[in-house]
Amino acid sequence: MTSSSEQRPPLSGIARVMSRVSTAALWIAGVGLVLMTAFVAWQVFGRYVLNRSPSWTEQGSVMLMSWFIFLGAAVGVRENYHLGFDVLLYVLPKGGKRWLRMISDLVALAFGIGMIWYGSQLVALTWGATLPSLGISGGWDYVPLVAGGALIVLFTLERIVLRLSGAPIDDALDELPPAEVAAELDTANVKV
Amino acid sequence: MELWILFGVFTVLMLIGTPIAFCLGVASFATVLYMGLPPLIVFQRLNSGMSVFSLLAIPFFIYAGDLMVRGGIASKIVAFAGSLVGHMRGGLGQVNIATATLFGGISGSAVAEAAAVGGLMIPQMKARGYGADYAVNVTSMAALIALLLPPSHNMIIYSISAGGKISIADLFTAGIIPGLLLALALMITAYFVARSRGYPTEPFPGFAAVAHLFAVAVPGLLLIAIIFGGVRSGVFTATESSCIAVIYALLVTVLVYRQMTWEGFVHATHGAVRTTAMVLLIIGMAAAFSWLMAFLKVPAALIASMNAISEDPLVVLLLLNLLMLFLGTFMDMGPTIIICTPIFLPVAQAYGVDPVHFGVIMILNFGIGLNTPPVGAVQFVACAVGKISVWEAMRSIWPFYGAGIVVLGLVTYIPAISLWLPSVFK
Repeated sequence: MTSSSEQRPPLSGIARVMSRVSTAALWIAGVGLVLMTAFVAWQVFGRYVLNRSPSWTEQGSVMLMSWFIFLGAAVGVRENYHLGFDVLLYVLPKGGKRWLRMISDLVALAFGIGMIWYGSQLVALTWGATLPSLGISGGWDYVPLVAGGALIVLFTLERIVLRLSGAPIDDALDELPPAEVAAELDTANVKV
Repeated sequence: MELWILFGVFTVLMLIGTPIAFCLGVASFATVLYMGLPPLIVFQRLNSGMSVFSLLAIPFFIYAGDLMVRGGIASKIVAFAGSLVGHMRGGLGQVNIATATLFGGISGSAVAEAAAVGGLMIPQMKARGYGADYAVNVTSMAALIALLLPPSHNMIIYSISAGGKISIADLFTAGIIPGLLLALALMITAYFVARSRGYPTEPFPGFAAVAHLFAVAVPGLLLIAIIFGGVRSGVFTATESSCIAVIYALLVTVLVYRQMTWEGFVHATHGAVRTTAMVLLIIGMAAAFSWLMAFLKVPAALIASMNAISEDPLVVLLLLNLLMLFLGTFMDMGPTIIICTPIFLPVAQAYGVDPVHFGVIMILNFGIGLNTPPVGAVQFVACAVGKISVWEAMRSIWPFYGAGIVVLGLVTYIPAISLWLPSVFK
């Protein structure tokens, strides 16, 4: 907590790299959403205009959806927009809040590790199968789970390390609107 | 014991403030470990719970809603609704409800609607001397209309949770009259509250102006016809219609209104990614949680305990309503539907309730829960837009809750309100 304005805050390099990773994940997820729209539109177009339903669009768009859910969810861990019950956080003093947030981050970290570990097992188990409509290995179904887990682990570790180093990451959170509404408020273009 | 672990871990983590998605996931994981089942199963259920083609409708409808707000469709609808009902007592409150009804038929998401309509209406209402609490409460309750009118993505979640056997077209149709009934009840309530507080009216702009504003809003309003007509007639599936909504919203905002900028598009896309990733992660986790509950035979136990209390379907429906209202107060809608449908629907069906009718009841219950602390996403959004605390809003929300509860009672005990319209289309 001793950083002055001239001094670079400790570990700012980590935060900068993570911020790039998170922006990249958000953009990839956004492209995924646009592609998904295109796939389903192509399916409708194929059925009514070309008289031939493409067989790959359903499975392809569902797989894109897994990618953007897991990437977007990982970004959500970093930007703290996941929905939660924050009444206790609201009434507790600062020190207590810090501990509760630490526990939540550790819980998310543990689940992220589980996603990598068991997700990889699922990839290995299904690698021999082939997805009929896409012609690729069935293991690809579980790759987004592993990738999302890896990002969740990275982002929770970042928060834990920054918090332990004394960076005031929780103070910023206290001034934000409730996490779940931030994204929608952004859409409504409202500054709180 | 297994159930104690499942619900205990979930409750403790939730109280700590852990994101709901991880509460559900970690509680399922802990239970599976305790029972000695392979932990793989939790992650496999999580993945398969999200990899459902019908779920694509959620990102699409949210994306379409974000595009419509960014691209000016929402503000055109506000202008049109204003010309229609602005001259009634508490004019802007009525405009708010009418807009919510029209816009709800397009976006289908209550949170998106509270942000969109509230963002446009609440500042105007405050500037015209309406109390911020009134503006916020009207906005947050009117947003619930979107849950009932097609295309409500929550009805799609319900249909999936019920095993995909309930027709989405029937659910969409069944929600229309209850949705309009809620709009009517809220307009009456808003009228009386406005009269007791002495709120102003807006001048009637004349029929020429109404016609002009209608013409401007038509490209946006047409979307309702495209979605509903497409799904009802079977031309599109619900998922396809949601995708058409995205493309149509893009075309209208870029080519007709010419208000969509590249920045607006990127913002809408990223906003939709953030919202849907959060919602769908919870849905995946809830799928794992709900699978465990079925595995532990929770539904059968609930039917047995209901049987012990009463044989009368009216009493059972009342109990289920109270239970759902209670659960709705501290959980968000999507996961509550996924967790509760496999448990409550068999109970309701055992007492002869139609699954389509029960879906409408459930969505209205959990919808009211979106407007109650401690976890009320819609109320949070409306309060944040209106810059008041949830407690300030709570002080004067009671007449509006009253309207919601009256509609809930009517919808619960008069099945025809929900079931008549779908029967017309058969």
